[in-house]
Amino acid sequence: MSIKKGKTVNIKWIGVTSVLFGILLVANNSNEILRQAVVLPGSVAESAVAADCRPDELVEEDLSLKECELMVSNIQIMLASSPSWFRPVTICLYILGLVSALFSLVFGMRFVNSPESAQRPLYVSFVLLVGIDFLIFATTSATGPLLRSIYLWPTLIWFFIHLVLLVAVVSYNSESKREVN
Amino acid sequence: MPNKIERLKVFFHWLMAVNVFFLFMSSWWMLALPLPSENFTFRELPFQLHKNIGITIFVIAIYLLAVRVSKIRRKAFKSPIKSERFVEKGHLVLYFLITFCCISGYLSSSYSGWETTLWWSLDLPLWAEENDSLNILFSDLHLWSCWALLLVIAGHVGVALYHAFRSDLTTDKMYRW
Repeated sequence: MSIKKGKTVNIKWIGVTSVLFGILLVANNSNEILRQAVVLPGSVAESAVAADCRPDELVEEDLSLKECELMVSNIQIMLASSPSWFRPVTICLYILGLVSALFSLVFGMRFVNSPESAQRPLYVSFVLLVGIDFLIFATTSATGPLLRSIYLWPTLIWFFIHLVLLVAVVSYNSESKREVN
Repeated sequence: MPNKIERLKVFFHWLMAVNVFFLFMSSWWMLALPLPSENFTFRELPFQLHKNIGITIFVIAIYLLAVRVSKIRRKAFKSPIKSERFVEKGHLVLYFLITFCCISGYLSSSYSGWETTLWWSLDLPLWAEENDSLNILFSDLHLWSCWALLLVIAGHVGVALYHAFRSDLTTDKMYRW
């Protein structure tokens, strides 16, 4: 990998990795929004209704009876450990994250061919993404251990990915200023 | 400036990339939702969405495959450069796997007896009677072809990153529209 070729810095990698992570984040946040739309509070899973585990379905899905029963517990974990404010707040944050990820994807593409014009909007996209990651992390930290075990680690990874890309965009700026001086 | 077909190709490429990753992620968590019954309908929305996106991807993949094949035909002869031949074969394998994943998934769904309403507006006809063993067969084919697709995608992304980091202009057109 030749990030530097002689005195010329190859900054294309910033745009390309922005596009790659932008795509993964759009997919990730869309999934989270869908998950929140599917697992609704007040649903039948909150009551003591037993799982419907028909033997033919178990064969089709390659599941044991225990696994099938635990699928309902999976939903119960999500619902029981979510405070009432958690769902609306996270949906808003994931929608904001989705929009910012789309921006980072579009401006990452432009950065590959025209870094000067895309640098500023890409910088703004990553500032937003780092901020949103921080807010998701803080929001999830305020819930119980069951939700923290699901969300904290992936959020922390996204936070550092966006921090690295933000710093890369900023350092590209200072690099070009140094060249001018 | 790229022409209209090139622009459309680039747009569909990235649209498909987002959707393929969305489908992988959603399939992993939606299969952990309770099995469908009178009481539990959690799977309804994610499964319908999965099928709708899958069918849409199939149409896009066919379009991209047609563009790729016509490009190969226009050349009228095999490239003498080994790496170019490898790239062509790699793309054909990628499109073949995407279409195979879509077809096997749709057939599995058809044999399961569940109806498909395309984007909640068009009822697709059931091509077959409910058949558990064929459902399991196509479900297995869907699963294994998707694992193979993920492996090929990893290779595709790896090669694209390699060219971008080398700054050799090979992939630059995919970021222009």
